[in-house]
Amino acid sequence: MLEVLMRPIDLFRRTAFLLLILGMAVPGLAGEPTDQVKQTTDKILSVVSDPTLKPSSKAEERRRRIRSAVDERFDWEEMARRSLARHWAQRTDEEKKEFTRLFGGLLEQTYMDKVEGYSGEKVQYAGETIDGDYVVVKVKIITQKNVDIPVEYRLKKKGSNWLVYDLSIEGVSLINNYRTQFNSIISGSSYEDLVKRLKAKATQK
Amino acid sequence: MKTTCRILILSGLWLVTFPCLCLAEPSTLFSQAEASQSILRVDEEIQVAEALTPLESLKSEEPADEEIQDSRIATPPEPSQSEESAESIADPLEPINRVFFHVNDKVYFWVLKPVASGYKGIVPQGMRVGVRNFFSNLTTPVRMVNCLLQANLEGTGTEVARLLLNTTFGLVGFFDPAKKTFNLEKQDEDFGQTLGFWGIGPAFYIDWPILGPSSLRDTFGFAGDLLLDPRTYVFNRPIFYAVRPFELVNDTSLRIGNYEDLKKSAIDPYVALKDAYHQYRQNKIRKK
Repeated sequence: MLEVLMRPIDLFRRTAFLLLILGMAVPGLAGEPTDQVKQTTDKILSVVSDPTLKPSSKAEERRRRIRSAVDERFDWEEMARRSLARHWAQRTDEEKKEFTRLFGGLLEQTYMDKVEGYSGEKVQYAGETIDGDYVVVKVKIITQKNVDIPVEYRLKKKGSNWLVYDLSIEGVSLINNYRTQFNSIISGSSYEDLVKRLKAKATQK
Repeated sequence: MKTTCRILILSGLWLVTFPCLCLAEPSTLFSQAEASQSILRVDEEIQVAEALTPLESLKSEEPADEEIQDSRIATPPEPSQSEESAESIADPLEPINRVFFHVNDKVYFWVLKPVASGYKGIVPQGMRVGVRNFFSNLTTPVRMVNCLLQANLEGTGTEVARLLLNTTFGLVGFFDPAKKTFNLEKQDEDFGQTLGFWGIGPAFYIDWPILGPSSLRDTFGFAGDLLLDPRTYVFNRPIFYAVRPFELVNDTSLRIGNYEDLKKSAIDPYVALKDAYHQYRQNKIRKK
């Protein structure tokens, strides 16, 4: 009886395999990547909505928890690499580490500020498109003013984990945006100037 | 003749008084350099390509099938590759644009934001959302015609349906039953997108004082839309001059914080805004 059951499963597997080979993106509804994104988002939202963590005395604890959830899902090095683009290869290992730390810090801070302003917006998962090790997870955020904000997470598979390497809001890619800024600064003045400005930004917060 | 003159003069005036809707628009996270030689070259190549290639090749860049995402997902972009393929908008007017960026920044913080904040304090959110919907309903002809010009008949139909439903059941457009009950989404099209649809590239970036970020193409787009906008044809002077500024204040009151966020998360806010605007417009043109 098991053999009878195995045949359609085999067929399905073979078809899926074929599709992957043909390089077609396999559209799906809720797959592993969406689940992982959902897990992280739920974790973060639960921290933000937790009434015991609301008082400002708990701010440090709250941020620590959000940070650890975010660290699980965001690939800071990949984001740093893509944002420097062709300037990345020219950097020493030390510089790369420093830049990843600074840029990751900037992103984290920005994200933290936004997420702490969460006031019950609905998050709808609108499908994912997997292509090998890459996936786009589409999300819709419905604000209180009834505006729909389309967000796209771009993730890359590392081991069994899907990690975010870019985020697009209304079609504006975060990494592209920073890449344009960084390239403009490096071309106009220098990489050192960029690092200086990143450091200044970190102390501003 | 007299009417045409009037329209032209009024359009010109509106170009000056119609303020930073675009400034606060990219709700992204999301300050001076000359683009490097190679970047400029890439930009020029892209512009030339966009200007010369017919519609077909523009369409072939992006697969029509919504399911299959753009090439970014299929070809894992190596940083160098993705940079060449990621377009950035040309900015030959950068020095002037930076000045106007600064002007707009001051206008926002010194005038627009205080006024919008005061207005926000007095008028409840539901009312302000209603006003936004009302104006959106009024400008249906703009979206309708531009859908048509892009051969998007479904979109045109949706806009007509929205107009009818929202005007009758939505109390002259204050409410949006078309979306809530019938799931008819607003087809946000404008003449700038229409021009982009037909293969016209943005050419270069312009940051208009008060008007906000734009491009050469989108400026023509804006002017073209004025002809379709019913509000152009309001001949009662006081109302005419009050409409746009009021709409601006109302819209801003719903978007306070977006511009501040952009500045906060950016290393160079001018470039951040320019790039966000460019990506945002490109995405809108790509989308139906």
